[in-house]
Amino acid sequence: MTGLSVPAVWRGRIHRYRLVAGKCNSCGRIHYPPSHSCPHCGSRGLAEVELPRMGRLVSYSIVYSVPSESRSKAPVILGLVDLGVARVISEITDAGPEDISVGMQVEAVFRRITEDGETGVLVYGVKFRPVKEA
Amino acid sequence: MAYITGVSMINVDRHYDKGVKKLAAEASSKALEDAEPEALDYIVVSSSFTYASDTQLDLASYIASYSGFRGVRALTVEAGEASGLAAVGVAKSLIDSGLASRVLVVGVDKLSDRPTWEVYRYFSKFYDVEGEGIYSIGMGGIAGILMRLYMETFKVDRLTLAYWPALMHSNAKLNPYAMLRFAITPEKVLEAPPLADPITLLDSFPLGDGAAALVIEGSGKGNALAELVAVESATGYPSIALVEDPLRIESLERAYQRLTRKVDIKNVDVIELHDSFTIMGILELEALRLAERGKAAEAVSRGYFSLGGEGPVVNPSGGLKARGHPIGATGVYQVAEVSLQLAGEFPGLKVPESNHGLTVSVNGSGSNAYIAYLRSVR
Ligand SMILES: [Zn+2]
Repeated sequence: MTGLSVPAVWRGRIHRYRLVAGKCNSCGRIHYPPSHSCPHCGSRGLAEVELPRMGRLVSYSIVYSVPSESRSKAPVILGLVDLGVARVISEITDAGPEDISVGMQVEAVFRRITEDGETGVLVYGVKFRPVKEA
Repeated sequence: MAYITGVSMINVDRHYDKGVKKLAAEASSKALEDAEPEALDYIVVSSSFTYASDTQLDLASYIASYSGFRGVRALTVEAGEASGLAAVGVAKSLIDSGLASRVLVVGVDKLSDRPTWEVYRYFSKFYDVEGEGIYSIGMGGIAGILMRLYMETFKVDRLTLAYWPALMHSNAKLNPYAMLRFAITPEKVLEAPPLADPITLLDSFPLGDGAAALVIEGSGKGNALAELVAVESATGYPSIALVEDPLRIESLERAYQRLTRKVDIKNVDVIELHDSFTIMGILELEALRLAERGKAAEAVSRGYFSLGGEGPVVNPSGGLKARGHPIGATGVYQVAEVSLQLAGEFPGLKVPESNHGLTVSVNGSGSNAYIAYLRSVR
């Protein structure tokens, strides 16, 4: 979390809550978070699509070097998640470093992302958690 | 034509007794010796952390008056971690266009005034603050993801990747401007506390303050240290999640391609590149095609990029890893270091008979990339 203002947090709420991404009408590729134009081909013809909520962990980092507002929950697990149609960077939750491995299945859950003591801003959105084997 | 006719560097360290203006003024005075304000057309200041940590706006003007150059045109350039080389690029454009014949570039940033936990918050702003930056990516979170992906994709073990910091520390030992001037073994890198696992503390740069200055002139080849032949750049994807292959720094590949289309680059003898983290140094070597993909770490471990190795000497200064990375100043240090190498006057590890040099600057994981080509005038 980087000290976003209350309006900035509010503006991003829909795509963060529902994993809404941009889909390019020209090249067909999907990007998240949604942009003003396609980051691949530059086209401004975009549609909104909801991303799948199940994915695979491509890689991850266990982050100890977090800002003060996140110190109590350090280390934070940060992952690159492949949702098939697109990849996203997200936090991996409900798991410790020992529960994590590359290639594992993860699913989106709604969580509080950060609580900035200084600005009082609460940010909610999607994180991913490991899918329990049946 | 643009020539580097003067350089100076402040040793990277925790300068608790000096503010941003003081560091910048000291570097400027040394680079310019006794020049009068009239002899200077422009001051281009590069600083990034100053803005992120709300210290001073319109910094260039305040540095100008503080340093004795009131009246000189001044502007500040901010491009995250690549600010320094971006400023050098702006200065060269001013010279090439004929708007200026003598430009002072000063890079300055101070990290030691803020507690480490706050510094981590500012560092996350190198990345998209409305994208992955909403999470606690801290210092090295994104690079940590890239490092693990590199190890998995190319089957490279952690120890092989630890030869990079060991080489950087070894190179920095003789550099009087480097912050960390002691040797470490690759094994020591693995034993260090984790920063953003698999990245350890010894894969990243120390938090220091610094300032460096360059005088760039349109003529004056006679007393120049080196010719600044070309500076190129390119913007890249806002996130590694969007790149088809996250292990390619697409912006740097493009900037390098632009550079090689513009100038014929001969055998490069010396390079100062942007190893904010071990993995960034490795990926940059591969983006410049100095090693095959997935092979750069192994090449480093067998001495290919060391002094006396087969390849160009990479980061004889010690790089960001050991010289230090005072954010907006770093790119200016790199150009100063390569200029001194090409003039045979670098006070640290010398690359003998070097005639062609590159410097590389990248913000974050590649939101932009800059590359400069310098040539000896001897
Ligand atoms: Zn497109």
